[in-house]
Amino acid sequence: MTAKRALHSLVPNGKSLGVKTFAVLVAAVASALLPLYGSDYAVSIGLLIFSYISLGQMWNLLAGYSGLVSLGQQAFIGIGAYTLAKVTTVYGQSIALSFFVTAVCAAAFAFVISFPIFKLSGVYFTIGTWIVSESALVFFRNWKFVNFDAGYNIVAAYKIPMGALYLGSFVIGVVSVALVFLILRSKIGLALMAMRDNPGAAEARGVYLYRTKLVCFLISSVYIAVTGVVLYLNIAYVKPGATFGIDWAVSMVFIVVIGGIGTIEGPILGAVIYVILRQYLYNFPGISMILLGAVAVTVILLAPKGIMGALHGRFGFELFSVRRTAAFDGPDREEGARISVKQRR
Amino acid sequence: MNDNGLLTVESLNVDYGDFRAIHDVSMCFPKGAIISVIGSNGAGKSTLLNAIMGVNKARSGRVFFEGDDITGLRTSSIVAKGISMSPEGSSVFENMSVYENLVLGAFLPGPRKKRDILLERAYELFPPLKEKAKQQATFLSGGQRQMLAIARALMSEPKLLICDEISLGLAPVVVSDIYSRITDVNETGVTVVLVEQEVKRSLDYSDYSYVLVKGRVVMGGLSDELDEKEVKDAYFGINQYA
Amino acid sequence: MELFVQSLVSGLLLGGLYAAVGVGLSLVFGIMGLTNIAHGCLMILSSFFIMVFARHMSGSVVAAFILTVLVMCVIGALLQGVLINRVLAKGPEPALLVTFGVAIVIWNVLQLIFGADFKSIPSPMASVNAVNTRWVVISGEYLFNFAVSAALILVLHLVIQKTLFGRAIRAAASNVVAAELMGINTGRTYIYIMCLALATGSVGGLLVGQTFGFYSYSGMSYLIIAFGVVVIGGMGSIIGTLLGGVILGVAQLLGAYFFGSGVQILVGYLTLLTLLTLRPRGLLGNMTRE
Repeated sequence: MTAKRALHSLVPNGKSLGVKTFAVLVAAVASALLPLYGSDYAVSIGLLIFSYISLGQMWNLLAGYSGLVSLGQQAFIGIGAYTLAKVTTVYGQSIALSFFVTAVCAAAFAFVISFPIFKLSGVYFTIGTWIVSESALVFFRNWKFVNFDAGYNIVAAYKIPMGALYLGSFVIGVVSVALVFLILRSKIGLALMAMRDNPGAAEARGVYLYRTKLVCFLISSVYIAVTGVVLYLNIAYVKPGATFGIDWAVSMVFIVVIGGIGTIEGPILGAVIYVILRQYLYNFPGISMILLGAVAVTVILLAPKGIMGALHGRFGFELFSVRRTAAFDGPDREEGARISVKQRR
Repeated sequence: MNDNGLLTVESLNVDYGDFRAIHDVSMCFPKGAIISVIGSNGAGKSTLLNAIMGVNKARSGRVFFEGDDITGLRTSSIVAKGISMSPEGSSVFENMSVYENLVLGAFLPGPRKKRDILLERAYELFPPLKEKAKQQATFLSGGQRQMLAIARALMSEPKLLICDEISLGLAPVVVSDIYSRITDVNETGVTVVLVEQEVKRSLDYSDYSYVLVKGRVVMGGLSDELDEKEVKDAYFGINQYA
Repeated sequence: MELFVQSLVSGLLLGGLYAAVGVGLSLVFGIMGLTNIAHGCLMILSSFFIMVFARHMSGSVVAAFILTVLVMCVIGALLQGVLINRVLAKGPEPALLVTFGVAIVIWNVLQLIFGADFKSIPSPMASVNAVNTRWVVISGEYLFNFAVSAALILVLHLVIQKTLFGRAIRAAASNVVAAELMGINTGRTYIYIMCLALATGSVGGLLVGQTFGFYSYSGMSYLIIAFGVVVIGGMGSIIGTLLGGVILGVAQLLGAYFFGSGVQILVGYLTLLTLLTLRPRGLLGNMTRE
């Protein structure tokens, strides 16, 4: 009894806990074991999906929850990819070490650029992040330390078996979901919700707000860099134009916008659609990009909250609820008004 | 009320998200009259006006002007039909001169052709505007700003002029001056709607009055027949209407 | 020293071209608060149109340009009327993402049709030098670019300051509701603005196409330049774009003079980032929305 209550206090909407948790667990275990029963092709698709889930979650943490629309997160993919290449190919160190170095480098870079770009708000922030990323691209092209525009082959990645690559991607994807979920259920999440629901009131506590956004930006950036390492273990060569390319931003925007901005399920759904669409149109890269752009525009116009938002609006469906009930929603005035309106109808 | 209203509102409901701001409001503004809509802060006056002008969308209900259904039309189309509004806080175009503000008032093709005549008339009505014609609107006093907003609204030669909270933050002398000007305007045949918080002045200057409390019409009729004390009681929510 | 003076003068003239690239973005941002990520791609689209039309019109660039302006106006009207006007009310970010989607579509369609090859528009002034002294050489092309841009910006400035249309635009920029209350249909005004912005973009597309050449993806690089121009000059300030263009152009060429041509672009970006952080609203006053 007490154990059950404890569980209930951890997860909201206790009554629907059973079925959903079970479904999520089954899906998780089934996909974790994919290399055991799936074809090589299925595994390679699954690998991409989980990496892109991670990218989507982290972009959503910024754009969907923190109000920071960044078109420059690909800079961190570049940092991850290049750190991996330098640490393994140039210095002959382990892949494990490159994860660690990546996290440190990405955190440092994110922290340093946060000073200028956090002075910008709204669309200026968006432009600022993009210019930072383009600057990094140009800088790497002219930087002897990273072999200019030639890039490196990541030889160490050749030896990794597909199953291990898949598992790495699986972990990075699942952890990204858990991480965003936990962040939203934490004090930071509360501050973010307050900011979204009532910007004015939250603004009054400016310093705290700045820190909250900064924390989200740091987490997102470091995690994207780490995801970049996982992605480039699969791609196995780095070049400035590709690693710092705007295509990464396109994919993050697409995944989140299509799936549903500001929802946890959205990026998962978006990543699945994105990867399958890209695969399906693999031989027509131009057409797939055109289609992605057109679909994204259509979704923003017709269903601004994406597929998940539409599902939630129509059927009240959601897999992970980050809303808290009862304890936080006092009987405020608006609530009262809402009730009285309903009664009248 | 009757069929000879210039503008009639029928069972209008307006929501702000989940919150209903205007409940089943019906009104009739007779042609040639001065009508006041009285209500306290938050009674829904501006919401009502914005719904009439097409700035906000109404949830349900209809608005008729000269017998035409204007519900859901774009604001600029409603203005083209002959309704003009001087908005609350007299939002003039700050970075433009007084002259430019007035010129914009005559933007529609009809008034545009007789812009110079209309400009002369505006300067006659509010002489201070002529002196300040070349100045940026930012540098006007509160009273001059209000004059500019009203003069600008009149530049489109409206049949119906709606003034939202003229007296807000102005000295009583200035308010009286503006009100007497509005009476002059009314005498040229323009129907005027005054939206105010102040009970006595509203009743004194108008032919008909409506009292709005919490988004509902609680009283209405000839201003002379409405008792100031009763209106005030309703207004402050003292009796059953609250 | 000669090279320094040369860099300074060329940077100044280059700035004129940059201003033509950025002025449309500035218009659209200042008046409707739209960050048009597709601006650069639309400009390069006009370069492609001019190139293709010129081929079919026995090489007349002038005729091709005029036809392109018309086509771009139609595209602008559709873009604004069908897509952007519907999302503008939902805040700046959804509108930004819509234009991002449009940008992706445009550059990939161009790539699909024309490939990734470098193209250019023939220019009669390519090899003519207007000034040729020991200190400085000014190419006729750069001078032409600067003159055209300066004239374009002057005309735009006058239209916006002195005509009724310009006043209506400024009214819509400062307060949408008040503008509608004047009988100004702001939705339709926005369509005119987008057409105007794309017409100026066609001028940019012509100058860029003649001077530097272009390929399908160039639009995104020129978008950054456009942003630079607009941010430095002040979003929504028309005259400011000329100043912004000149500052960016001079910074780039002086950067190339001091640090080598490889970092020319980087210096431009960093100048832009620095100015963006120090003066987020730009150097000149503007007509931005409240």
